[in-house]
Amino acid sequence: MPERKLRSRSFRRVKKVTPGGRNVTHYERKKPKPASCPVTGELLKGVPRERPTKMKNMPKTRKRPERPFGGVLSSKASRAVLKEKARQ
Amino acid sequence: MFEVGRVCFKIAGRDSNKYCVIVEKVDDTFVIIDGQTRRKKVNVKHIEPTDKVIEIKAGADHSVVVEAFSKLDIKIPLKKSKKPTERQKKVKAVKVKKEKKAPKAEKKATVKEEKPVVKKEEVKTTPKAEVKESPKVEKPETELEKSLKEE
Repeated sequence: MPERKLRSRSFRRVKKVTPGGRNVTHYERKKPKPASCPVTGELLKGVPRERPTKMKNMPKTRKRPERPFGGVLSSKASRAVLKEKARQ
Repeated sequence: MFEVGRVCFKIAGRDSNKYCVIVEKVDDTFVIIDGQTRRKKVNVKHIEPTDKVIEIKAGADHSVVVEAFSKLDIKIPLKKSKKPTERQKKVKAVKVKKEKKAPKAEKKATVKEEKPVVKKEEVKTTPKAEVKESPKVEKPETELEKSLKEE
């Protein structure tokens, strides 16, 4: 029986084999959902799927593509937005 | 549509959301652009043409493009070159090393002058083989010998 606080499924269960050969379960926090585009709904490339503590220590350039709307819109969606702006 | 002097809007990549002008046409798919963006060769798919056209020659300089853009009320930020500041530190480090080296050389020179040059005179003493001369001992003549001599 695991600890009282670990019985809910808010923790991910990872099975591991110790150096001594024992099988144990480790309880780890779940990772967030992968980032997706709000317009097209596709998964964003170049955006890591990490917990906020790790994302905090990363440089900006590793967290999103280096272009306007990078990390928010997909390339297709951003092109469509900018095309409309150019035709005004 | 993509002729020299056509003002375009970059829609892809790091320079997107910026205005540019076609400076040179490479072929049907590629053109060279300049303006708010960096001067570079781009695919036609990455730019959106506008209805404005500037009168410039093919392969015009960046300064010409800046002048033409100023008439359209499009500002181009000037590039600021960084001043080299690290070189001064290197010079200081070299000076310190030279100062340290100089007194050492002087000290060595003075020490050499002060020291009297003493040459060791090597006296080779070859031990001569002492030849012991055995002293001749004269034996007293016996009576027989005396008698023989007299005869």
